[in-house]
Amino acid sequence: MIRLVVRSLAQAVVTLLGGAVITFVMLSASPGDPAERILTARGQESITWLQIEALRSELGLDRPLPVQLLNYLGGLATGDLGASWSTGRPVVDELATRLPATLRLTVASLALAVGFSLILGLVAAAGAGRFPDHVSRTLSMFFLVVPSFLLGIVILDVVVVGFGVGVVISDGSWSTVLFPALTLALASAASWSRVLRASLLGARSAPFLTVSRARGTTNVRRLLVHELPNALPPFVTIIGLEIAFLLGGAPIVESIYSWPGVGRFTVQAVGTRDMPVIVGFVMISITLFVIASLAVDLFNAVIDPRLRRR
Amino acid sequence: MTNLLTSSPRLDAVTAVATGGRLWRRLLRHGGGRVGVALAFILALAALIGPWLTTDPDVPDYTNKLQPPSGGHLLGTDLAGRDLLARTFAGARMSLGAALLVMAIVTIVGLVVGVVAGSAGGVIDTVLTRVMDVLLGIPGLVLTLAIVGVLGPSFFNLVFAMAVTGWAGLAKVARAHTRGAGQRPDVIAARMAGAGPIRIAFGHVLPGVVSLLVVAATLRLGDTVVALAGLSFLGLGAQPPTAEWGRMLSDARETLSVAPFQIIGPGVALMLTVLASTLIADALRDLDEPENRR
Repeated sequence: MIRLVVRSLAQAVVTLLGGAVITFVMLSASPGDPAERILTARGQESITWLQIEALRSELGLDRPLPVQLLNYLGGLATGDLGASWSTGRPVVDELATRLPATLRLTVASLALAVGFSLILGLVAAAGAGRFPDHVSRTLSMFFLVVPSFLLGIVILDVVVVGFGVGVVISDGSWSTVLFPALTLALASAASWSRVLRASLLGARSAPFLTVSRARGTTNVRRLLVHELPNALPPFVTIIGLEIAFLLGGAPIVESIYSWPGVGRFTVQAVGTRDMPVIVGFVMISITLFVIASLAVDLFNAVIDPRLRRR
Repeated sequence: MTNLLTSSPRLDAVTAVATGGRLWRRLLRHGGGRVGVALAFILALAALIGPWLTTDPDVPDYTNKLQPPSGGHLLGTDLAGRDLLARTFAGARMSLGAALLVMAIVTIVGLVVGVVAGSAGGVIDTVLTRVMDVLLGIPGLVLTLAIVGVLGPSFFNLVFAMAVTGWAGLAKVARAHTRGAGQRPDVIAARMAGAGPIRIAFGHVLPGVVSLLVVAATLRLGDTVVALAGLSFLGLGAQPPTAEWGRMLSDARETLSVAPFQIIGPGVALMLTVLASTLIADALRDLDEPENRR
């Protein structure tokens, strides 16, 4: 158990460090002089060569690259991502004001996706090969093949604009979260329900379930008490791994619904080539992925004794 | 967007199927697989000969703007009066062509890196595997977005970014297969006959991995098309007046409430692409596990 935790933690540190190096390379490779862009962003009319040089040495841009990398890693460790190239304000502040809206969206869509996938998966497995299974699988297939941006514009322009349900411009609060969260959740729900169905059917073939059936337990009891717990590890694993991908889908959905979160902010930053902001978003995604993977490893070790022995 | 294919049992399925031979005939005998192959064939046809059957997709005709579907314009026209059927066909060429290009690049890179890591072992293997793990730890779309941020928004840069981010999963497959091949009878025989590690890697291991990776990459074609379209939808890929499915959808947004028919062409095309890809992937998995067959 301890070895498993140590190995997961080491993996997490390597991934974070690797991500930090990749983003550093991106920052260094991007065109334009950061000092000049930050000064322009702060609204200075005439920028003298002296001011640029002063800021360059303040930011450490005149130092050799390895020193810059160490400074950058030190900054990341203390939560300093530098200044935005288009507003001149600290990137951490810019992201922090928008992160709650994105977290609300992510939590809401996670809840919807888990709920829908449980329902779809359980219904499909309960009536495997029969009518409920066909309905559930057709629904899953449909939501799997509709890209989120297509679903988003259909919901926004037909349901919201056409029928006047909900609001066109979201303010990022819980009251407007339903449609964006639904748009983000349905594809994940579809893919997770397929995993759940497959592992429920796999769990069903265990010999003790034949014994259980011979002893007269009901189908529902076997499904919920015996099959579901045994089918959980693959289901939990895919949910954990894809939490970070929900965040990855945020740029598209947030842009469609004008959701004031970090995803939409990042898309705007790509338009203005505001690298520190983009790098901040990448680091947030990696951190979330690492935390989710750790949680999945630990959760599976706790619920599945077979994993603990390895 | 889902990363299923790099982390799921589907890849193990692919291993068995790709090495099992006569893949094509077995795929056509599977119900869902047959539908998937038929859809893929239709889409390929639309991309290849569609643009020859229709008018120029980029020439505006402002006297004919936002016409609903009719005999003259089967899918209607957009805000600039351009024929949407012609643009959907041109978009097929653009989207599918770009996705194929991305797949070709990631397959080659994944193949080389995976076989090198798997045959070399030691420090080289450890370093390359760590790089793969880090790349797999960043959501593909996020990293793609960041690279487009460095290079600037254009369709070429988007394709390049997707190629840079997409190879890690395939390299892992190639590496696992290469390592497993060390114990294969023909490889042991080659080693006993005095073949060097490089000759074994390229002469005996590589050919088997190629077919495996081509199948694994093909399965991701649907996801790749959607990712390309999604980023173009955000304005970070194809630029006007290029006919590309994601771009067409975002161009249609402003006038969608008065002319909703505009989403039919690119929307249905995107859905059919993912459907074809998913059906074929599911069929391959079923073929590997006969008890799942229905």
